[in-house]
Amino acid sequence: MIIKGGIVYDPANGIYGEEMDLFVDQGRMAEQAKGEEIDARGLLVMPGGVDAHSHIAGKKVNTGRIMRPDDSRQGTQSRTSVCRPSTGYTVPNCYAMGYRYARMGYTTAFEAATPILEARHTHEELAEIPIIDKGALTLFGSNWQVMECVRDKDLSKLAAYVAWGLRAARGYGVKIVNPGGGEAWGFGGNVKGINDTVPGFDVTPAEIIRGLAKANEMLHLPHSIHLHFNNLGKPGNYTTAIETLDLLRDIKPSRMRQIVHVTHMQFSAYGGTSWRDFESKAPVIADYFNNHNHATMDMGQLLFGSATTMTADAPLEYGNARLTHNKWSNHDIELEESSGVVPMTYFRKMLVNAVQWAIGLELALLVKDPWKILMTTDSPNGSPFVNYPEVITLLMSKPKRDAEMATLHEQVPKRTTLAGIERELDWTDIAIMTRAAPARILGLQDKGHLGTGADGDVTVYNLRPEEVDASQDHALVKKALANALYTIKGGVVVSKEGQILATPPGRTFWVDAAVPPADADRLMLDLEDKFAKYYSIQLSNYAVQDAYLPHAKAIRAGLPVEPLPEVA
Amino acid sequence: MRTITITPREEFRISVEAENISSDKFASLNIEQIKSLAVWQGNRQKALSDLFAIEGDDAPATAEEITIRLLGDFSSVKRIAEGMTAGLVEVQGSVGMHAGNNMKGGLLSITGDADDWLAREMRGGKVVVMGDAGNYVGSGYRGEKCGMRGGEIEIKGSAGAYVGEHLCGGSISIGGNAGDFPGAANQGGTIFIGGSTYLPGAEMSKGAITVKGEAKVLPSFQKMEIVQIDGVDFQKYAGDLVDNGKGELLVGVGSS
Repeated sequence: MIIKGGIVYDPANGIYGEEMDLFVDQGRMAEQAKGEEIDARGLLVMPGGVDAHSHIAGKKVNTGRIMRPDDSRQGTQSRTSVCRPSTGYTVPNCYAMGYRYARMGYTTAFEAATPILEARHTHEELAEIPIIDKGALTLFGSNWQVMECVRDKDLSKLAAYVAWGLRAARGYGVKIVNPGGGEAWGFGGNVKGINDTVPGFDVTPAEIIRGLAKANEMLHLPHSIHLHFNNLGKPGNYTTAIETLDLLRDIKPSRMRQIVHVTHMQFSAYGGTSWRDFESKAPVIADYFNNHNHATMDMGQLLFGSATTMTADAPLEYGNARLTHNKWSNHDIELEESSGVVPMTYFRKMLVNAVQWAIGLELALLVKDPWKILMTTDSPNGSPFVNYPEVITLLMSKPKRDAEMATLHEQVPKRTTLAGIERELDWTDIAIMTRAAPARILGLQDKGHLGTGADGDVTVYNLRPEEVDASQDHALVKKALANALYTIKGGVVVSKEGQILATPPGRTFWVDAAVPPADADRLMLDLEDKFAKYYSIQLSNYAVQDAYLPHAKAIRAGLPVEPLPEVA
Repeated sequence: MRTITITPREEFRISVEAENISSDKFASLNIEQIKSLAVWQGNRQKALSDLFAIEGDDAPATAEEITIRLLGDFSSVKRIAEGMTAGLVEVQGSVGMHAGNNMKGGLLSITGDADDWLAREMRGGKVVVMGDAGNYVGSGYRGEKCGMRGGEIEIKGSAGAYVGEHLCGGSISIGGNAGDFPGAANQGGTIFIGGSTYLPGAEMSKGAITVKGEAKVLPSFQKMEIVQIDGVDFQKYAGDLVDNGKGELLVGVGSS
């Protein structure tokens, strides 16, 4: 396949809006190729989009679907000769997940949180999501085995467990959600800060986070720890954010990447002492990221309208349910986590929601280096992912932001700095935040760029970047981003002008990390004991079998066979 | 005034989805175009004129100026007058499920009975039923937090269970009895029931429910004073206290 004459943005390879031809051969980017020609003359061309944090599969999403038949009937579409039927808006069915990402030009999305015990369900759904490549992060933050290893300061056993857990869950990386809080919630409590003790375990969230970060680096995992802070969603929580980030400054990365990826930062950049004096602390957070290089984040942008909050932060969901009087699902995941789901509507005229909206944008605009911040909505917690074009146009257009601000609660300019921010992101920034950076942060070498050998995932948007002024013509830009002219996945045109043309199955990435057999043996003694005493299922039935990953792509990690390149 | 008359050609053994029978859909169309509007019968798509005889004024008119007369048995025809904003739909007979769904204005009048989900999630306008209505009159559909938000529903006969479930506004009046749980999770609408009912206002947080006949009242309602309305004594209750509710429930004195 030849993609002719596009204006290409491939920041990972230092290409910032150059007119060039691209070649895809046997599903990969190549120097030369023959075959189908795609006319992209003068049009915006980028690598396929990569979403590093989105709730697309598994028990939480499905609980959302069960709780929300009202959501199911939004956005229904009949089947076509190519597509199965679509349903849902905030919690779409599996098929719609794939189609909707593909229409926007995305070719990869990672499910953000799966407990090992429920990983089989996650993979059943991932296998049904068409087109896009995917992976699932595995929850470790309130896990008994993790906390025992941390308490015993047995780092090698902890690393062995992380490797075993990733293998059992066919997971991609270490997700930590409100560490220790999931366990405390089993007793109706929570941890109130990073130095609070987790009931029954004599460890603190700080120790859990540091332990897992070190284990993550011992194992040379492609992704860093992926962290949802303690105290998320509470006024004044920015101090917890800074304290937690400071914990990790001295840890040495094992690969060319961050030590910690902070997810949905918007929910952790809050000032004030209560919802009454609630205000943005995004400038403080952005300053921290501008002055430190060990952490990256994603926005977790909130948009007005319908959302479904779902997280392993169960005490937070209890708070949400009490606050909104809405439906609430609460779930205990044995020795591993707790979780919750609550439908939510965000209102323009509600000051708290309007400030939250502004905080996400402030973060993205105040962090100077786009490689440090990804564009996400923590879908569907802040808003479903189909609204990414809205977020991108807000970042690219000051007039659009001003017009939106005029419709919000009048206190917003006093509680946030958004009104004074002139910066408008350009296509290079957007290509980094939605393609190059998520791929690099996740450690996906063949994603997010168009260099030779990369996956043949290319998006052509019906926009002329050299003619269109994204600041003024934001409506045009939004329309073009919502339905890519061509979405090419592995050298196949999967979507054209919003019409799905082909539905190849995507691959599922997972990380297979090797550990010393002696550590694994010590670990197994612990696990056999736990399964005999506490788990509701047998150890032999626990791990996800290969049959659940029909298109698996294992990435090797663990003790390096050959020395890794030295990290600067 | 533009009048269009629609008569079923047969007795439908398989139900028909006819959301296209509404003054808004007819407004800009001439009779030939109306005849070719799509309806589904079971899993088959058909033209409106395949199933119904249609006659009336040919010239398009605004929705307000349209009167649609439905003559005959429409009890297997669903979604009549769905989303209507203005005009008049007059049914000389009974209608099937989901009549007046999401109505925003205009008048839907039914001389016979209405089936389940009458005027669910209605926003405005008026629905009058001379006979009885099924379950879920003016309520929210599955999972929805807000049912009817505005407008008026008047049922001369009796209604089934869950009248005005998740009611957020507007008013519903039932001449006869209502089934179980009228006004469940009421958040601000008013319901009047001329006859008797069972367990009204469960989980109501706002709004008012008046029952003229007998009603079994939930124990989570607090008994207040006796009030007199038009010379009739009513026992007043406040609740539902399980939801910290500030709703008002009036039940005719003489009932338990």
